[in-house]
Amino acid sequence: MLMKNEFTDLLKSAFADFKRNKVRTFLTSLGIMIGVMSVVLLIALGLGLKNYLKQQFESLGANLIIIFPGNVFSSEGGAGGGFGSGFAGGADFDERDVANLQKIREADYVVPVFFKSSVVEADGERYLGYIESSNEEIFKILNLEILAGEFFTKSEVSSRSKNGVMGFTIAEKLFGQPENAVGKTVRVGDQRFRVIGVAKKKGDREMDASLIIPYKTVFGTLNPDKTFFTIYLGTKDEGNVEIVKAKAKETLLKRYKEDEFSVTEQTEILSTVDQIFGIVNSILVAIGSISLLVGGIGIMNIMYATVTERTKEVGIRRAIGATERDILTQFLAESILLSIIGGVLGLLLSTAIVLIVRIFFPAAINFFSVAITLIISSAIGIFFGVFPARRAAKLPPIEAIRYE
Amino acid sequence: MIKLQNISKSYFLGDEEVKAVNGVNLKIEDGEYIGILGSSGSGKSTLMYLIGLLEQPTVGKVFLDGKDVSKLDDDTLSHIRNKNVGFVFQQFNLINKFTVLENVLLPAKYSKVKLDFDPLERADELLKRFGIWDRRNFFPNKISGGQQQRVAIARALIMKPKVILADEPTGNIDSKTGDEIMDLLGDLNKDLKVTVIVVTHEHDVALRTKRQIYIKDGVVVKKYL
Repeated sequence: MLMKNEFTDLLKSAFADFKRNKVRTFLTSLGIMIGVMSVVLLIALGLGLKNYLKQQFESLGANLIIIFPGNVFSSEGGAGGGFGSGFAGGADFDERDVANLQKIREADYVVPVFFKSSVVEADGERYLGYIESSNEEIFKILNLEILAGEFFTKSEVSSRSKNGVMGFTIAEKLFGQPENAVGKTVRVGDQRFRVIGVAKKKGDREMDASLIIPYKTVFGTLNPDKTFFTIYLGTKDEGNVEIVKAKAKETLLKRYKEDEFSVTEQTEILSTVDQIFGIVNSILVAIGSISLLVGGIGIMNIMYATVTERTKEVGIRRAIGATERDILTQFLAESILLSIIGGVLGLLLSTAIVLIVRIFFPAAINFFSVAITLIISSAIGIFFGVFPARRAAKLPPIEAIRYE
Repeated sequence: MIKLQNISKSYFLGDEEVKAVNGVNLKIEDGEYIGILGSSGSGKSTLMYLIGLLEQPTVGKVFLDGKDVSKLDDDTLSHIRNKNVGFVFQQFNLINKFTVLENVLLPAKYSKVKLDFDPLERADELLKRFGIWDRRNFFPNKISGGQQQRVAIARALIMKPKVILADEPTGNIDSKTGDEIMDLLGDLNKDLKVTVIVVTHEHDVALRTKRQIYIKDGVVVKKYL
């Protein structure tokens, strides 16, 4: 076991060498730094993407059934359906589907949604938000609460009224005080809408940045094909969820093939998201690890050079009583220190980057990535350091001391 | 007391066996001041390394205080070197990235037993004695050759060794400084009762010691010619 004194001596000796070879030390650590950074950032972004998707689905209410085109989230196939046959292909839902689904007795809400990112203009201000065209039941199904004004009603949907309800963020960006939006007119493309209400902050980035308008109003204009991306079905009674799912499937199968749509619950989506990102994350870590490996080889290379360069020093130390083990520890300490320095730098740098990215995207550094970084970088130090250190330890003292 | 019994050490240069030291018998009492004199390639350095336990004999036995140390493992030999032997080299062999004081203290770091003295105090004492205490925070390449050799001697003495082995200690310094170094080694032998063994090819350096051993072609001879 190392004593405290020995430990500080080792560190001192290592730092004395680093000081003499500042550029080399920096470059060697840089390899590990980049490796650690890529691993940490990739994990952070993976986590971010997962958090983001989870947030999206979690902000939806309970007892919610979601109908998507494609079969990404089918419970049978798990993640096996893949994105290829998912969002890209599949069904384009239209009003007929909505009408059919409305025939399901147990479905208390049937909410078609057309969603599109758009620039919304008002009083010369412009904001890149979203328009979300739907019916009046969307407010219930998304658990939206009114902050000022009112939500539009069923009759306003049928009459293709140009009344819209704003999310908190978009109202705040365009009018300063969100409440001020009520009664104002905004423009999306060629269409004008009157804001009749503003919703309370929901915490869902897209929802809060949306202008919600009656779906029929944008048919032929913002929604030229009169289709929907998603149809939400809601039940007041939790016991009816399975029945509604089964009936919705049955209904849609009359028009579409089985792999052209999926009927799924929020919980299933969340578990699928978890599953997919488990895989995505491992792949990302594997890719990042390649640069760590390269960094480790860099350390090994430098340590071999260092051993050769310091052969004489090894000889001197052996003459005054250093054992093979002492020499091994000395060089190993240096390579471990090198890679830990790189690791910590990489961690700090990626934390800084993640903090910046967080402004736009919920990337996250968790305890796991910190722990794994430190463990991996010490492991690299040991693994790639042990061979050069062994060479140093095994140098015959006499030859070493005569080495010039 | 150090006793070499029928010691031989051979190397292989390619396929050819070179006997650097060939059947040497030697007895060195505690507190002796000895000069080992021989020309370049005579095997005198190898002999010194064998005495200093840096090298193990191919044949024969080395006894330290009556104990056979020629078959000990590397760790034990390292500990014995650390505790009992102080080396002084022609090229001083200080570690340039450490200060004078750190160099002197280095052997103490490798001690595996608790020391019965404070190495820092002893280092100060030695550096003062050798007149280089004011250079203690200098790096070796910033002081003169004579001063470097004093630092090396201080380093050799820090662990209170039984033996000082000096390999051409005056080889890299001018003759006046060389005289001073030899004076210093003589004083150490006299005052501290340390066994001092000086390996040299210079006759007059060897003559300053109390007993001379002549070595030629790996063999101890009566008289060096």
